[in-house]
Amino acid sequence: MEAQLTAVVVDDHPAVRAGVAYWLGAGTPPITVVAAGEDVRVAWIGDGATADVVILDLHLGGPTPALGDLRRLVEAGRRVVVYSMRADDDIALTCLELGALCYLTKAEGEEHLVEAARAAGRGDPYTPPSLAGALAGDRSDHRPALSARETEVLVEWFQSESKDFVAQRLGISASTVNSHLERIRIKYAQIGREAPTKAALVARAIQDGLIGVEDL
Amino acid sequence: MADDDRLFANIRIVLLAVTAVVQTGLNATWLVQHQRDYRPAWVENTAFATLALVTVVCAVWLLRRRPLPAPVAFGGAAVVLAASVAATAALPEDGFFLDVHWSFGLVGWHLLVLLVDRLGVLIGALAAHGVASVTQFVLVGDHDRAEVGGAGVVVLSVLGFQAAIVVISLVLRRQTGLAAAVAADRDRIATRAALAEQWERDRRQTFAGQLGATLPLLVGLADGALDPRDDATRRRCALAATQLRRLFAENDDVPDPLVHEVKACVDAAERRGIEVSLAVSGSAVAVPTVVRRELTAPLVVALSHTRTRARVSVLRTDQEVRVAVLADTDPGDGIAPTSPLVRVECDTYGPRTRMEARWKPN
Repeated sequence: MEAQLTAVVVDDHPAVRAGVAYWLGAGTPPITVVAAGEDVRVAWIGDGATADVVILDLHLGGPTPALGDLRRLVEAGRRVVVYSMRADDDIALTCLELGALCYLTKAEGEEHLVEAARAAGRGDPYTPPSLAGALAGDRSDHRPALSARETEVLVEWFQSESKDFVAQRLGISASTVNSHLERIRIKYAQIGREAPTKAALVARAIQDGLIGVEDL
Repeated sequence: MADDDRLFANIRIVLLAVTAVVQTGLNATWLVQHQRDYRPAWVENTAFATLALVTVVCAVWLLRRRPLPAPVAFGGAAVVLAASVAATAALPEDGFFLDVHWSFGLVGWHLLVLLVDRLGVLIGALAAHGVASVTQFVLVGDHDRAEVGGAGVVVLSVLGFQAAIVVISLVLRRQTGLAAAVAADRDRIATRAALAEQWERDRRQTFAGQLGATLPLLVGLADGALDPRDDATRRRCALAATQLRRLFAENDDVPDPLVHEVKACVDAAERRGIEVSLAVSGSAVAVPTVVRRELTAPLVVALSHTRTRARVSVLRTDQEVRVAVLADTDPGDGIAPTSPLVRVECDTYGPRTRMEARWKPN
């Protein structure tokens, strides 16, 4: 990734748009916010239409979450990071099923947002602690089967918000923590409705040898 | 109801004794005296023996203070009535309702013994006995007015006496039922009063227990034994304050009491200037109050020892409820409360302490 990552920010609060743009621009390497607006149209027209990553607020003025907008963006192959006020497990899981690469609550700060945007730019999922909690507490019938270690990683990450701490607790390396989280997300990408981002995730996981074709 | 049972066992034994005495003391004499008058005598003797046998069979249960089983009672009544009809049929024409008709009164006693626990059947059987005897009397030739009058007096006096016994047993039964109900009521009220007293006592104790560290702390501060400038005292104050906040939240009527109590603890810590990040995942499950108390106890301890920041999480999976806290604490402060209901883990990682309480429903 030599070219600089670009992002479009969809949020109905100007302060949030400005803050997100500042955070993304302040990282190294910086992510350039090429467009920002209170309406999802900004992600479809002008500079926003070609941005690598879409940072999408689910509650754009209305009481109902903008799940339809999310679905349309994902179907168009866009890499979306959902950035929401609400720490609601069900909505988080729904966003993953629709094909969002990350569900991030606004209570989770800069560090997670920058990492999520950077991962999304590569087409990778990012699992922040609140989302790990939602996955660990998932009681739906169609949830994928996770190994005991994968569940442990999810719970520890949710509880501590620190990958170093998880690694220390479980006696593994931080990169192993990441690959566990990634494998969990691939398992989730294999269930529910189809989406380009999810398919790409699974395809790359097979290429990288993270999972075998027989696991499908 | 035990009083009721005892009373009726006694009544049954008395009736059995009366029957035995009447049969052997009175009727046996008449039977022997009138042997030549019966047509034929063996029928009378067989009936007498049958009735005696019924008395003996009844004695098997009644002397052991047990009621007669239904087949014995009904079968016995049928046998007795049949014996009565047979004995009455072998009477001389002019012998109805006199000494020679010994079976008339005795059969009533037998029916009383057999059916005293089944009042409706008893009245029916006595009536059938009376009607059968009178019918047999009417069918056997003509009777003058003196004979009819005499028969009427005997029938009415014998059956009337036996009916009186039926009424007495009925009244006694009702009275004991009433007495038993009153006694049961009294017991129930006494039990309720005792329970209320116990509940009140428990509540006082629980509250005193829940106040935890507060009372000794206040006493120490009041006495001047504890210095409010001391770090240890401040920590004890923080602990007491958090415990009290949790306790106040315990009885609030909210949809998710566990998270409500956890938030109360977090709020108490934030008031002390600690930065707390709280995360809740998984849908709410019912957690009993005692378990909530124990799930939040490690949290209370950990937060009261926290210096600047803590991560608190509540996770409800399909198997477990887990309340965890990761906080920067002063070293050596690790306190791990344990209980039979929840599993508590406490580990120190350098400047950080991690505490977790886990509970498996069922």
